[in-house]
Amino acid sequence: MAKHILVACGTAVATSTVVCMAIEEAMKEKGIMVSTQQCKATEVPSLVENADLVVSTTPLPDDLPKPSIVTLAFLTGIGKDEIIEKIADHLRS
Amino acid sequence: MDGLLAGIKAVVDGLGPTVLLPIVIFVIALVLGTKPGRAFRAAVTIGVAFIGINLVLGLMFTNLADVAQSIVTNSGLKRDIVDVGWPSAAAIAFGSSVGLWIIPVAIAVNIALLMLGLTRTLNVDIWNFWHMAFMGSLVVALTDSLLMGLGVAALMAALALFFGDWTAKAVQRFYGIPGVSVPHLASAQILPIAVIVNWVIDRIPGVRDLNMDEKAIQKNFGVFGEPVVMGLVIGIGLGLLAFWNMADTSAMIVKVLHTGMNLAAVMLLLPRMVKILMEGLVPISEAARNFVQSRAGNKDIHVGLDSAILIGHPAAIASALILVPIAIVLSIILPGNQVILFADLAVIPFLVAMAAPLVNGNVFRMVIIGTVTLAIGFYVANATAPLFTDTAVAASFSLPEGTTLITSVVDGFLWISWVVVKAVEWAGALGILALGVVIFLCIFSFKKNPLAWQKLADIQTEEAKKVPAGAPAE
Repeated sequence: MAKHILVACGTAVATSTVVCMAIEEAMKEKGIMVSTQQCKATEVPSLVENADLVVSTTPLPDDLPKPSIVTLAFLTGIGKDEIIEKIADHLRS
Repeated sequence: MDGLLAGIKAVVDGLGPTVLLPIVIFVIALVLGTKPGRAFRAAVTIGVAFIGINLVLGLMFTNLADVAQSIVTNSGLKRDIVDVGWPSAAAIAFGSSVGLWIIPVAIAVNIALLMLGLTRTLNVDIWNFWHMAFMGSLVVALTDSLLMGLGVAALMAALALFFGDWTAKAVQRFYGIPGVSVPHLASAQILPIAVIVNWVIDRIPGVRDLNMDEKAIQKNFGVFGEPVVMGLVIGIGLGLLAFWNMADTSAMIVKVLHTGMNLAAVMLLLPRMVKILMEGLVPISEAARNFVQSRAGNKDIHVGLDSAILIGHPAAIASALILVPIAIVLSIILPGNQVILFADLAVIPFLVAMAAPLVNGNVFRMVIIGTVTLAIGFYVANATAPLFTDTAVAASFSLPEGTTLITSVVDGFLWISWVVVKAVEWAGALGILALGVVIFLCIFSFKKNPLAWQKLADIQTEEAKKVPAGAPAE
């Protein structure tokens, strides 16, 4: 079954789109099936239940019941490969 | 020959952003080194996004125009300038004549300033170039001169970099994001206001010790963070204000609930449509980032990103949640105001996020500073709405005939738009020159004495002094 990733940013429009597209592309290359959903950081608590992982470009509430990664790597291009590995590790486990 | 040229011009004018922008984007993408297939798909996606945005705008307009008119007749409140939201503003800006050129113009300005050592920010946030295009297109609406519009857009690109440099240390410290700056006009514009208001608060005994509890606010006002629910609630509220005295009660209830549901739909759908625009821009944005990064060398630079990365901070969320009802109250009580708020009630965090480092995340102070900023913003919006509307029409967005004016909080509420428009209105090209002089004086002054500027933007200046990273660029 495809793993579900919640991708959050301030608007659910701009930076999270960049992250979503990058994750989908990278996971496809690795042969990991994922589905992604974009949302605003304020919506994470009400949407997190269905997600296997939360990736965000902006701070998240610290009491989330699911694993989460806050990163700017997809936007700056710096450290992108390590983050992709980290996401893949989370999804494989 | 003249006939042929006139013919080409007629075709180009008739195409509008749904065709013209994809063509331009395709060419820019190829120049920046994107593969043709990828560039083509991206370009077509952008055209599709414009069609989608127009559809949702239609839905919003049929509802809001009706509501706005009914509010005028039923309550005597003259509120006929409709807030169509930043997604619409962004689409209008990219679809304008300035928007077609903004990507190469802003990149050129950035590279030039980096080479001259006048900025340390490398702005890879191509998406938010729309703010610069927006200011430029207001000037085109005013003067009918594309050249002046492009001049203003280029100056705004420089101004964004200045704000990015100025706030870099504060943002990096408070938000914990090393190596990043936020050259974002809509977020940075609060700084001068924040500096003054914060100075005043510091001098009022009692008030200066106040703060608010973030957690409690998020719990009690959390609904304003969920766009669908907020759209529904605001829609029902506006519906009641518009139709409360209809003779037929059952018809009234139907109308109010329909308004609520339709506006909930707009709140969800409008950002989705703009997301498609963003999807189309991502390949270009990546190519532009590589293009600029490879030319900027490995100097010590800040990577300029969207202020969307700041918005999740509890202080930004909490103060914005409180500011939503405050903004609605302001729209009702401010004398002379004609703006009816709707779509941009969701983006208030963008307006206040940059004030957080200055007040060290004190939510009470952020709310006060935000209230002052919004109050000023209402008058800016009232003054610039006719130009905003002209710009939308020029970018061939379908607005209902003559009845309603439009604005948005981002960027219609920014004092920067007002200053730009007034400078050009009073002095034409000389006004633009004056703006340029002021902006470059700021840039030179910052380069000469960065610590003094950083002190203005950040509360923890003692630390900034100790850390050598706060030293000037070269």
